[in-house]
Amino acid sequence: MTIRAHGLLPAAAQRAIDDAFTAVAHIHSCMSFHERESDVSRLNREAHESPVAVDSAAFDVLDIALRFAEESKGVFDITVAPQLVDLELLPSPAGASRPDPAATWHDVELLPERRVRFHRPLWLDLGGIAKGYAVDRAIERLIAHGATQTSVNAGGDLRVYGARTEHVLLAPDTYGDGVPVIEIENGSIASSEPRAHTGSHRAGSFVSVIAEDCVVADALTKVVFARGRAAAPLLVRHGAAAHLYNSRTGWQHFGAHLSGPHAPALLAS
Amino acid sequence: MRARFVLYPLSALTLIQPLHAEVYLSVEQARNLMFPGATFAQAFITLSDAQASAIERDSGVSVRDRTVHVWRASTGGWFIADEVVGKHEFIPFALALDATGAVKSVEILEYREAYGGDVRNSAWRAQFVGKAHGAALELNNDIKNISGATLSSKHIADGVKRLLATYAVAIAAH
Repeated sequence: MTIRAHGLLPAAAQRAIDDAFTAVAHIHSCMSFHERESDVSRLNREAHESPVAVDSAAFDVLDIALRFAEESKGVFDITVAPQLVDLELLPSPAGASRPDPAATWHDVELLPERRVRFHRPLWLDLGGIAKGYAVDRAIERLIAHGATQTSVNAGGDLRVYGARTEHVLLAPDTYGDGVPVIEIENGSIASSEPRAHTGSHRAGSFVSVIAEDCVVADALTKVVFARGRAAAPLLVRHGAAAHLYNSRTGWQHFGAHLSGPHAPALLAS
Repeated sequence: MRARFVLYPLSALTLIQPLHAEVYLSVEQARNLMFPGATFAQAFITLSDAQASAIERDSGVSVRDRTVHVWRASTGGWFIADEVVGKHEFIPFALALDATGAVKSVEILEYREAYGGDVRNSAWRAQFVGKAHGAALELNNDIKNISGATLSSKHIADGVKRLLATYAVAIAAH
């Protein structure tokens, strides 16, 4: 992860960056599917038996995730962990009962006082959204410390803040016609890894989603990867744009217009 | 928020430099490269007003950062991590001084500009070796300029001059 901060004296910049890293580490430890004592692991072991109280960050992320599940009619789904375990993309969570095959995100219930209950045994994986959420929290800390131009890049989920336009080079497996660059101010970009998302028929595609909040961009990459252009109404609703590439169709752009009236630009050779 | 997607045609790429930073060396890597086998004792200094003024008078270069990130090498000499302004971005670099305060080597740690990265060229950097405080370090006279990298090469040369003065004013005394 890379954090850049401008507009601060070196000691203050160091403090701001340390604070931002701390925020990210905290979110990672709450939401890790792998660590035994993370909130996610405790939920996966216990929440089908009785409500489990979780950290406010974990509760916030669950709330966001369930709303995206609703809006995308389940295309964005944090309960796909069992399929990912079967595909050997995730290790089996230690000490957790086998999930009920009929369980879905509808079985996750948020209760008062940050408690969570599962109506059936299920496995949650917040990996599709936690990184974007962490980037948003890190940026908040940096701004609170007074950085005037700052960016957080967590392995392809990034957010920039400040008046200056940042240039972000996208990295699909092959470039095809040209090298894609996003010129962006005060927004986030999340890009999909070509991970074998369940139900996706778009192997070999590369997706970047631009939105103001990184958690939104992060969640929407999954929907765009699965649904392609059909995700456009959801993108527009969130003020987000998607850029999708595969070697067969080249670049496709859909969603909200984020640069004024112009369509994406192809520079003349 | 504003965002624009731009596709640079591959045929144009020889004219357009990468827009991301090249990180060549971390501070730790540079230290070990410039002082093989040594261990390092951190000896950071915060320059007083008097020291900063003395350095500026001596070198003719302004002191932007009062903190000197200097380490003493166990094998003798000093390692300083510093940065200068390029055309648009900062250029982090490292300076190794021998036990007498003369330049052992200069390394560029990162280069973020679109052009002018030739300051990384080892033959150019080798011009600084052996220079000590008081040595002439004028671009074009004593240090050859690099076409297309004039600002970067001037600022690196100024940075070395400033750090040699910093050594004389604030480090050698320790």
